[in-house]
Amino acid sequence: MNLAIVLVVAAVIALIFILRVTVSSSVKISADTNPANQLQPIDVEAFRNLADPAEDDYLRRRLPTSELRHVRRERLLALAVYVQIAARNAAVLIHVGQSALNSSDSRTAAAARELVSDAALLRRNAAFALVRIYVALAWPSAGIGAAPVLDGYRQLNGSAMLLGRLQNPATPVRISASL
Amino acid sequence: MFRPHSLLWHYLWVAPNVFLLALGYLIWKRGLHRRFPAFFAFAALSAASELAVYLADVSPSVSAGTFWRVVWVSLLVEGPLKFVLIGEIFAQVFDAYSSLARLGRQLIRGLGVVLVLAAALLAAYAPMDSVLIVSGAHVLEQTIYLVESGLLLFIFLFAGYFSLQFSRPVLGIALGLSVSACVHLATWAIIANGELPDSRRIILDFLNMGVYHACVLMWFYYLLVPEKVVAKSAVPLPENNLAVWNRELERLLQQ
Repeated sequence: MNLAIVLVVAAVIALIFILRVTVSSSVKISADTNPANQLQPIDVEAFRNLADPAEDDYLRRRLPTSELRHVRRERLLALAVYVQIAARNAAVLIHVGQSALNSSDSRTAAAARELVSDAALLRRNAAFALVRIYVALAWPSAGIGAAPVLDGYRQLNGSAMLLGRLQNPATPVRISASL
Repeated sequence: MFRPHSLLWHYLWVAPNVFLLALGYLIWKRGLHRRFPAFFAFAALSAASELAVYLADVSPSVSAGTFWRVVWVSLLVEGPLKFVLIGEIFAQVFDAYSSLARLGRQLIRGLGVVLVLAAALLAAYAPMDSVLIVSGAHVLEQTIYLVESGLLLFIFLFAGYFSLQFSRPVLGIALGLSVSACVHLATWAIIANGELPDSRRIILDFLNMGVYHACVLMWFYYLLVPEKVVAKSAVPLPENNLAVWNRELERLLQQ
């Protein structure tokens, strides 16, 4: 009977998660009139600086071990926040891109597909990078691995600009400004 | 009312399968079978095999042993079909995005192996009575629903994480299959492990049949009722510090 209880609980939890994902995705579709408003600006230069291994080496040479540990931890936490924001922005862009996927204009639809694909890739990289950052927090000698996020972000920005241009030629690259 | 061979019992066993056959026919008529070949095959074969089990149950000339053999054949037809259908749902949601599809395929394969091993372990611990053909069928049902629920949960969570929206028919198919799989997993887990008296077991049978009926109606709705087309204006894009961002971007790209 214990096995039955475990499986019943697992089935109920699975069903709750499935219904939750379904409902939240339908609510998102109907509630957001302008999802692009949810984009949060990111200072790419600061992000790049935090992700740069050369900066890490420089600090390692300059700072005593105890201070280095503290500074490195602060930098990793800041980096995690940047990656989380980048991932959130990517989710918003997936939403924006998906709403344009069925556009009658084939170029807009293609740009939307590329935007969704790039944003999904960024979200995937962000997930991996976050794992690496938290591993690095727990185990300081581990690498950070945020470079793919930065590359993904650059690529994503290009896709967003292209979609923005195609959707609204008068105001071509506004969407990328808030990335 | 909640008795075997009551009018409700006959209705709940036959009607969803007849509806599913009709849905298969309508899918074929509308050409949707080219887009959803696995669902089309599932609708036709699963309904036919369930109706064969029903006929074996009500036919006085069919012995108990033969009935359970029919149940086994039905399970062996439906089980693989469901996994092919899950593969179709996965492909419909993720195949357009190659980077995600590759990662998702690796993860779902790994999860599939873990689920099969977990299901095998649970099956090994399930109580087996002397009539192996009966308890074995119960355990096989539990195993199929466990793996099916796990894979469907993964698809929903993976798509949810990436904010990917299912198209309407795919959502309907996936949701119906998931609800049915989760409810059946819970009920078959109780039946396979709980050693319930028949009077209580029949309630679970009714629950299974009722939920399956609701899922078939859900498939009808999502596959055949057209989506309301809402005229969308172009998404107004936010005003922002475009010049600054462009300068930063260009500088980064030129490095």
